[in-house]
Formats: sequence, C-alpha cells, structure tokens
Amino acid sequence: MKIKRTLFAVALAIVCIFVLAVDASAGRPGFDKKEIRIAQWGPQTGPAAPWGSVARGSAIPFNLVNEEGGIHGRKIKYFIRDDQYNPAQTKAVVKELVERKGIFAFVGGVGGACGMAVKDYLAKNKVILFSPSTAITEYVVPTQKYLFATYPLYQDEGSIITKYLVEKMGFKKIGFFYQNDAYGKNGLEGCKQRLATYGMKLVAEIPVEPGEKDLASQMLKFKKSGAEAVILWVNPTTAVISLKTCATIGYKPQWVSSNTLSDYPLMYKISGGLFEGVITGAFAPPPDSDDPLLTKYREAAKRMVPEERWGTFFMAGILFAEPLVEALKRVGPNLSTEACLKELNSLKDFKGIGPVVNFNENCHQGTDSVQIQKCGPGASYILLQDWTPNDLATWKKK
Amino acid sequence: MDMKREYYEDIELIGSGVVLFWSAAFLIFLFTLPIYMPNYYIYLLNIIIVNVILAVGLNILVGYTGQISLGHAGFFAIGAYGTVFLMTHFQIPFVFALPLAAFIAAFFGFILGLPALRLEGPYLAIATLGFGLAIMHVIGTWDIFGGRMGLHAPPLDLGIPKMGFSWVLESDVSMYYLILIIAVIMIVSAINLMKTRVGRAFVAIRDSDIAAEVMGVNLTIYKTLAFAISAFYAGIAGGLFAFVCGFFDPFTFNMILSIVFLVMVVVGGLGSILGAIMGATLITYLQYDLLKNVSETPYLGDFLISVSRKWFTVIGLENFGSIALGLIMIGIIIFEPLGMYGVWIRIKKYWMTWPF
Repeated sequence: MKIKRTLFAVALAIVCIFVLAVDASAGRPGFDKKEIRIAQWGPQTGPAAPWGSVARGSAIPFNLVNEEGGIHGRKIKYFIRDDQYNPAQTKAVVKELVERKGIFAFVGGVGGACGMAVKDYLAKNKVILFSPSTAITEYVVPTQKYLFATYPLYQDEGSIITKYLVEKMGFKKIGFFYQNDAYGKNGLEGCKQRLATYGMKLVAEIPVEPGEKDLASQMLKFKKSGAEAVILWVNPTTAVISLKTCATIGYKPQWVSSNTLSDYPLMYKISGGLFEGVITGAFAPPPDSDDPLLTKYREAAKRMVPEERWGTFFMAGILFAEPLVEALKRVGPNLSTEACLKELNSLKDFKGIGPVVNFNENCHQGTDSVQIQKCGPGASYILLQDWTPNDLATWKKK
Repeated sequence: MDMKREYYEDIELIGSGVVLFWSAAFLIFLFTLPIYMPNYYIYLLNIIIVNVILAVGLNILVGYTGQISLGHAGFFAIGAYGTVFLMTHFQIPFVFALPLAAFIAAFFGFILGLPALRLEGPYLAIATLGFGLAIMHVIGTWDIFGGRMGLHAPPLDLGIPKMGFSWVLESDVSMYYLILIIAVIMIVSAINLMKTRVGRAFVAIRDSDIAAEVMGVNLTIYKTLAFAISAFYAGIAGGLFAFVCGFFDPFTFNMILSIVFLVMVVVGGLGSILGAIMGATLITYLQYDLLKNVSETPYLGDFLISVSRKWFTVIGLENFGSIALGLIMIGIIIFEPLGMYGVWIRIKKYWMTWPF
C-alpha cells in the first residue's frame, strides 16, 4: 500500500506540473523564400474514395504555376493527405502538416464533418481554409476570417434549378425527394422559396434515409401525385435505386438533381444507362467544353497524369484552387497571410473555369451561381443554361 | 521463470517487484512523454490511448469471455454522444457526464447481452453488427444529436461551471494527461477484475459454458455482465474521443470502426490485457500515421509513386498504406497466433534464458 501511495503522489505531482505547463503548440510559417506550402485532405481510400479525385485535381493548377516559374519566385509545394473520410484522421493529418511542415493554406477538402472538425484549429493557427468542397451554411454564416467558400450553397442551387424547371420547361407539378439531413433539407428550402414566388407548392416532398434500399412506396407516392418532374437531393445510390424503381413501375417523370450527381459517366454506368436525360445543377462546366482555359488544364492533366480520368470532381479540384492562386499572384513578393487575406477579400469578378467569384470583408461565400446541364446519350454533357446566380439568395442580404 | 507456489500468488494484482518497477518506470516515461515528443504526436497519442481503453474493454468480452462483438462502434458512439448531450442539454459537468454516459452504454451492453445468451459465433457477430449499424442510423435521424451533420464537443471543463469553478483543458497535452490517468485507472481495474471471481467466471464461460454452468456460474448474469463491462469501457473511450476529435458525425462510428476495434484485439492477442494495449497502439499508429509522409521522402517517395502509378490505381501512395496495414495484420496472425502478446512472451523468454 505504501508503494502505491508514493506512486500516486509522484504521479499527481507530475500531472500538476504538466497540466499547468504552457501549451507550446504553434503552427510553423506556411512559406519561405523558396516555396509556399499548400495542402489538402481527401479520402483516397475507404468508402468515399471516388471523391478523392478532388484533391488530385488541385495539383494541376499548382503544377502549372510551378512550370511557369512559381509565384514571385516561390514554388508551390502541394501536399495531399488521405483521411479516409474520417474526421478524427482529418484532424491528425492536418495537425501533422500544420505543426511539422508549416502550411500556408488548405484548399478544398472533402467531407462536411472533416472540415468542421478542423476549421477552428486552422483559424487558431492562422491557416487559410479555402474552398472546402462541401456546401455547409456554418462555413458561410457567420463570416470567418480564415475561411473562404466557393462551393454554391444547396439553397441557391435548389432555387436556380426550380426557376429553370418552372420558367423554361413549364412544369406545373414538381415533386421533391430529399435525403433527410442538412444537404437534402437545404436543397428543399431553396426549391420551396422559389416556388413561393410563383404561388406554387410541391405536389410531393418525401424524405429518405441514406441507407434505404427499398424505395417502391416513395416512388409510388410520386407517381400518384402526378409529379411531372422529380427533383432528387440524394446520394448516388439512392438516386440509382429511384431511377430503377420508377423504370419498373412505368413512371417517367423528368428527373432533376443537385450537382452531387453531376459526374455523368459514373452515374450513367451505375444506373445502367437510365441516367440519360437527367437534368442536374453543376458547379463545373462540362468536361469536354472548349473554353480555352479549360482546354489548357485538360491538356496539362493529360501530360502530367495521363492515367487520371478527366471528370467533374477532378475539375472541381482545379476550380477550387484557382482563386487562391490568383490572390497569391496579386499579393506580390511580400507574402504574408494577412496580405493574402486582404487580396482575397478584395477579389472581384474573378473568372476561372468555374463561376465568377467575389469576396468581401463581410461575405466569404464567393458565388451563388450554378450551371444547368443534362446527361445526353452515352453520358455526354449538354449545357442547358450557363452560370446563373440566385436572385433570392438569403446570405447576400446579410 | 515465474513459478507460482500458492494460489494467492496468482491473484495478486502485481506479480513481482520486477513487474512493479518496470510498470512504474513506463508510467513515468508516459507522463514525461510530452517533454520530448513534438506536439503533433500528442493528438495521435490521445487517439491511441482512447483506442487502448476500448480495446481493453473489448478484450474482456472477446478475449476473456469468448463472446464476439462487431457492434462496439455503437457503444463508442453512445459514449461520445451521451457525454456531449448530457453536458450541453443538462449542464452536467464532464466528470459526471462521462461515467453517466458510460453507464448508459453499459445498459445497452446489457440489453445486447441478452440475445447473446442464445446466440453463438457467427450468429452473435451478426446480431451485434446489426446493433452497431442501428445505433449509427438512429443517432443520424435525431436532430437533437445534430442529425447527420454532426455535433461539436463543448469545451472540456473539469470543474463544475455552475458553481463558478471551471478548469478548462484546451491543449492536446493537458487532454493527454486526463486521458492517460483515466486509461491507467481503467487498465488496472481490468487487470484486477480478471483476478477476481468474476474474471474467472468469464474465462470459464469462454472455455466451456456448459461446464461453467455446472460449476455454478450463472450464465445469464455473467454473459450480460461481460457485455455491460465491455460496453462501459467503450462508453468511456467514446466520451473521451468526443473531446479529442472535437467534432463528429454518425458516420464516424461506422461498421469499419467496429471491425478495426476487433482487429486491434485479435492482432494484440486475445485474452491478454497487455496484448490489447499493444494491438490498439499498433493498429491505430498504422492507420493514422504509417506511410502518410512517405511521398515527401527523397528518392523512396518518388520511386513508390511511380510503382503505384504503374501497377495500382491513380490514387498514389495511399495504396501502400492500406497494403502495408493488411500485410502486417496477416503476418501477425499467421506467424504468431497469440498475436503481439505471443511475440512479447517469446522476447521475455529469450532474455530470461539469455545467453543460452
């Protein structure tokens, strides 16, 4: 017993010393005379691995800048870390990068929970989090000094898509099928807000849990409601099951979806061709677009990573990184995080391959624009409507 | 060799002075670790110790009682959500919320233990698997738990804020000490438990439940008790994890996590507390840190990237991480059926008889 007590006392003393010790955790500077260190987390393995191409896409603009000699003499050193879509691992890789390597900014970053787990840590260490690849209201409101978003919010997208369906396609009866979480509900909110301006109501709004496999009853409800168009705010698996179920019950509405399903070759393949004719919102232009800037990136990707598929998510990685590269160029040789923030805050009408991006001190949501595209035969992309902003966007008024 | 001459030697908490000395030395090493370890590893250490607590608990169930569970991510989630929920909605201080949430987990463990009375082997595995998945989905549909969006952990306050006494742990290092102390308490309790009548009953059930019952072990009580204790450990681990990670959503506690937990126990060595500790440490390290930096290593990084590009998918080096993790697990199971604990025994034997 005596030994135990002595041990306990010693342990307690040590604890007191160290708990009270000052925490020396401090991020290292994210740049030096030779390089600017930029990083991204993303699921390269595990259940969400298909979204990992976002992180690999961002490498293209950085490599191009480096080939042109860097930014004011500094090359961009780009790190990708696999977090397997697990916020605990995201935090581990982010801490390791910030404290060991020193990171100037994080770009993109798939996973809502992953981003939420590290955003406060990054702000504390004065690291910029640029364009996280998820639309989350908490990123935008309230405005955070080190966080800039360019992913269009789902409310805005829902609103723009609904406007197109009503005004351009003349649909009177619209149904809405949404995933029962923030993603689905935000889309639904935007859609309803838009319909209210026409004095219209959804003929059916049905929630779905992400894991549900039998959707027959929900689809029958849509059929009964007589919806001419059904908007999907769901994940790829649920969308495919919906399409297949409706094909068997002989119900053929105009399917519409959010940009999360805008990877047509993938959707076309897993739906067995049923995805043809679906209209979706899009945060990136069609991959085969002949826009000169896009062509430049496409050629570069072919040269640098010939084995990579040139798809929507890969392009997303590029367009998330573009405004940051532009801001870094504008900062000039006297680089600092504050200077970069200043340039980002004054970024006006920046046009890369994505929508026009604007930031100011009070609003770090860069855009509210989406394109509307349609899946053509053989998973081809048909552009229906070019970048369109949402005139009803609520966050703009704040 | 450690020869035991009487029964009481077998139930002593600490076998010999040598064990005591080295345990104390190791503890002092752990307590001084933040001095010589870079700060970013402390977070990883926190995760490792959290997993150690869970693995020790899971080992009581799987290794000592012989009941399989693929649902421990569920208890882990109950611990995490329970602690945060009790703190934010009922303003219960952390020191009470954590054990309370663990007791809730233990209660669910008891409930899950009931079907275990009639189920064995693969059937039990599926029942527990279902439990783990159900918890994940149920939590996801309740907005009060943040739904699928997830939940922020409140500041970790060791005091009682209502009474004007608060002691907020902010840094990873201070959290490390808290977690380490809890882990030491939990591990010593586990060692102690296995030396009691209850522990021996668990082992008897594992070896043959019919024989155990004949000898007077009440199967209903002890099987459900094993589940409850194991779930309690998972609950404590989950509650600590909530603060280590700071933000989590239901998907964090998915099926893969349950399997990883089981892997920790099996790789470490079934039926050995030291094994569970080693297994949890190794697997967590492999998952979180192994080969994460290799792409920046000169020469080797570039070489591996080119190999990966040529023979594997475009993902890059992350493939090697997964492959290495898998190979290490397979290697340990094939060459050392007792797990890492078996390796430990052999090392010990070698040095005891050295130089012969």
